[in-house]
Amino acid sequence: MNRAADQPKPNPLREGLSARPVPQPCSIVIFGATGDLTHRKLVPALYNLAADGELPPDVVIVGFARRNKTDDEFRRDLEQSTRKFSRQPVRDEIWNTFAQSIFYHQSEFGDESGYTRLAKRLDEIDKSHGTRGNRLFYLAAGPDQFEPILKNLKAASLNQTCRGSWARVIIEKPFGTDLASARELNRIVRNSFAEEQTYRIDHFLGKETAQNILVLRFANAIFSPLWNTHYVDHVQITAAETLGVGTRAGYYETAGALRDMVQNHLIQLLCLVAMEPPTDLSADSIRDEKVKVVRSLRRWSCDEIAASVVRGQYTKGTINGEAVLGYREEQNVNPASQTETFVALRLFIDNWRWADVPIYMRVGKRLPKSATEISIHFKKAPAVLFNKDLRDLNVLVIRIQPDEGISLRIHAKVPGTSFLIEPVKMDFHYGTSFGKPSPEAYERLLLDAMSGDATLFARADEVEQAWAFVDPIEEAWCAKKGAPELFLYPAGSWGPEQADDLLARDGRAWRRL
Amino acid sequence: MPETAETYSLGIAVEVGKIDQELKKLWRESESAMTRASLMNLAVYSEEPGSLQSNTQLMARITGNHACRAIVIEADCEAADDQVSAWISAHCHVSSVGSKQVCSEQISFLLKGGCTTQLPNMVLSQLDSDLPFYLWWQKEFSEPIDPQLWTWVDRVIYDSHDWNDFRAQMRLVESAQEETRQRIVLCDLNWTRLDSFRFALAQFFDHPASHHRLAKISKVRIDFAPGFSSTAVLFVGWLGAQLNWKIADAKSLHDLRFVGSSGGKIDIELIESDGQPVHAVVLTSADVEFRVTYATCGDLLEVSRVQAGEKRMPQLMPAGSNDPVSLISEELMRGGPHRVYLHAVNCVRDFL
Repeated sequence: MNRAADQPKPNPLREGLSARPVPQPCSIVIFGATGDLTHRKLVPALYNLAADGELPPDVVIVGFARRNKTDDEFRRDLEQSTRKFSRQPVRDEIWNTFAQSIFYHQSEFGDESGYTRLAKRLDEIDKSHGTRGNRLFYLAAGPDQFEPILKNLKAASLNQTCRGSWARVIIEKPFGTDLASARELNRIVRNSFAEEQTYRIDHFLGKETAQNILVLRFANAIFSPLWNTHYVDHVQITAAETLGVGTRAGYYETAGALRDMVQNHLIQLLCLVAMEPPTDLSADSIRDEKVKVVRSLRRWSCDEIAASVVRGQYTKGTINGEAVLGYREEQNVNPASQTETFVALRLFIDNWRWADVPIYMRVGKRLPKSATEISIHFKKAPAVLFNKDLRDLNVLVIRIQPDEGISLRIHAKVPGTSFLIEPVKMDFHYGTSFGKPSPEAYERLLLDAMSGDATLFARADEVEQAWAFVDPIEEAWCAKKGAPELFLYPAGSWGPEQADDLLARDGRAWRRL
Repeated sequence: MPETAETYSLGIAVEVGKIDQELKKLWRESESAMTRASLMNLAVYSEEPGSLQSNTQLMARITGNHACRAIVIEADCEAADDQVSAWISAHCHVSSVGSKQVCSEQISFLLKGGCTTQLPNMVLSQLDSDLPFYLWWQKEFSEPIDPQLWTWVDRVIYDSHDWNDFRAQMRLVESAQEETRQRIVLCDLNWTRLDSFRFALAQFFDHPASHHRLAKISKVRIDFAPGFSSTAVLFVGWLGAQLNWKIADAKSLHDLRFVGSSGGKIDIELIESDGQPVHAVVLTSADVEFRVTYATCGDLLEVSRVQAGEKRMPQLMPAGSNDPVSLISEELMRGGPHRVYLHAVNCVRDFL
């Protein structure tokens, strides 16, 4: 088959103007349109795209929710929240034009007739607004609503389009709560939308530095020969936050740090760090390589889980000089809760590149500072020449948030007559070098979905493989007999000391952040 | 922060041979938390009296988004005696991610007398190593273009709007490019002025279903400000080159007409009126008009598609600005060669 011949001809006036796939006109239907995500993230992101001239002119937003509202009421609510949460100040002229393309559709998620009415409305919008039959369905509702929404979309034939148009669905995490439920969710999604129509969003992948990992690794020849077991001593990934569970207790009590962060965000970051070079930059080439990494993660027996995974829960303590409650004292949390707010893991990727290189991951709430960083610790140089053991390893740090950037720790001679050697740091900050602020992750990801670029979205097999890795840990923790202990740590500390022991046993220590 | 780090002054006068030492001293003396940042060398050359001050003000604003080593040169080539004066300063801005001060260095030179002989050495000795070198040339090019300097240039920035003889100037630039065997990227600010209009117009045709409209274009109308006919002609050149139009025997701008790839005639109407350099573009394709005009607020473009029996809300898009800081900033964000620009120039070279 001649694939090139199947591709639509590019717009000749676009040449040299845009280095990314061009988003197409479409109707964006947001399910859960009155919720937090819509108000805090989605609509502000779409407004910012419009204000930057990145949104195609023929894009319409249709909010789908249960509450009774008129289009104007919905627009007013969104204006208020966008003024509060937008990255850039809202300009009246732009908002007024943007708001004309926002509509509200009232319906219960489970009411089939609401979808029939939606289909009719979208057809009318196609005619009046030039959205060309393209539909992007954003499931910003709770996961328990996914099934009725998807079923009803199918029943109303909204999962299908006429030739030359497309229908896509964006799903927010959690993508299930374990392997079985993830498979079930994938089955439900597949019943209505094919895999290439499905976009599973992980906002971590929309961050500038996460995308920069591929550039750092594959556009800089100096790192490529060192990126393997011969030169890398170990890798650390930390996702720390000072915040507690806040208002998310209802969800968090059923999820915990392992499901909330490790199964998705941290494993996605690990994949970008550990994957082989893809054959090209197409979505599937990259995702093929990422899924190989997850598949190569060493699986553990129950005993090995106790030795390689530490779980913890914060007790009362101090954050930024202020006393804070312990997890069990937080609102809507079971006073005897066994939910972990901290996890540290010692992993291995059993493949040729990473054989015997430990990967240490930690994630936690109420830690001393908020930071997500990946660090590659290189092996020691032979000690023979300077007749001393160099204490610190060369470390390459990729800072995901905040203060996105990259630093490299090297050794240098201290000026003077003696041969004193000390570590020094070479530092690159995005904010310092590039004056223009990065777009929000949701801006990038929404544009990608409108352009049909699924590179930064998780594929069904990636999600399932990640659950297959995480499930045995959850099962071991829930075992009636011999379950590994839940260690307590005071808020404001770096987690239970057992997490330090994970590395200390190997003669290593967590990086000082 | 030392006194020399003020934004708009030329800073402290230094001996040319001691610039490096003085810059180091400047950073040593910094009292507050400042970070020096540099992504490129940006040299600006002008022979306009007083340009050292005006270009320093521009650099102060440009460095807010583009950390660089700025080299500002004013040349007085008519002066009787050879003389070089130098100053150093820093432009500091609060970074986008916090309260850190991010600073760019500026070295300023006033060259008197034998400008052409002094210039290459002055510039080359002050480049921040391993960073790209952008040369912003604020006057017409004259022969001979010094290969000693041009060999090191990555991007040369100029504004063809100021040229009296486009063809002669372009010939000089192209032959310099050829002689130095360098892949110098040509950055014409007159072309950059068109970016937002090109972008706004292009997005009408992103959907494959709208491509057939391109083949049916029968008329192009461009409204431009007095003095900006070259900007409007470049726009026409862009359309012509990208859509494979051929000029149909025109003798002057007033009877400019093209033949499309399918043989249809395309009339070009260029209308001079007060406003922005280019303030309206209308493409007519059968019964549809594609319009890009300035919105009343002045810094946004109103983009609309007008067809009988169809009512669509116009969209607003960022309009860009004719201010040199915006034009340069836009240009510095860009990478890669300007193939499309060269095609546009070639399409309408005889009318520029």
